[in-house]
Amino acid sequence: MKKLWRCNVCNDIHYGVKAPTVCPTCGAKMAFTLIDYPESMKVIIDDGERLDEVDKLLEVWNKFAEGKPFKVNPDEVFVRTLAKGELENQKNHGLKYCPCRITTGDRVEDLALICPCNFFIQPVYKESGECWCGLFVKRD
Amino acid sequence: MSEAGDRLIFFWGRECPHCAKLHPIVTEVSEELAKEDGRGIEEMEVWHSEENAKLMRSYGQVLKKACGGSLGVPALYNERTKKALCGMRTTKEQILEWARE
Repeated sequence: MKKLWRCNVCNDIHYGVKAPTVCPTCGAKMAFTLIDYPESMKVIIDDGERLDEVDKLLEVWNKFAEGKPFKVNPDEVFVRTLAKGELENQKNHGLKYCPCRITTGDRVEDLALICPCNFFIQPVYKESGECWCGLFVKRD
Repeated sequence: MSEAGDRLIFFWGRECPHCAKLHPIVTEVSEELAKEDGRGIEEMEVWHSEENAKLMRSYGQVLKKACGGSLGVPALYNERTKKALCGMRTTKEQILEWARE
């Protein structure tokens, strides 16, 4: 079961089964301690930045694909439609769910539909070289 | 329009680009089918209608299988045969065959 951990040097927060051995932010070793949800929410500082615009999402997706065996679909009109759909889903359903999927109502199951999803395991990616919605495509 | 339990249903999402591409094909097939026996394809948008989403979820077992593991759009469900088609590669021929079974 995933738990919350806090680096006692720089207050980096980690959500996972185990505490990181090395803090990815400050490099401290064996510095993470178990904390609870209310503490984590107080430690995290909301700096006001929101990924709530199409261009911002495009930037995030391109960064995500850097150095990987896939890239963002070069059809920009298509990609912008997907971005608009995700922002619409965030507004109406709370998270950036893939607009080519549909939520089941089961919170845990639906976490798998947040974009980018784990599309490598999808049969469609293995067969066609595209994720389900076509946002990411294998590089030539 | 067909009675509930006997419908051909096209589940789609307003912001799903594949749904937009498949939409005219579904409309074309629906018109052909309606001429044959008056049983066209009913369109149901699922991201902006909780009622439609609920109906889609009620057919989840069959649809998930057709969609490769998770519920997805565009998807077609035949209430009479309980068979489904799903995904961007669905062709006009496949839809006709699925509808006429």
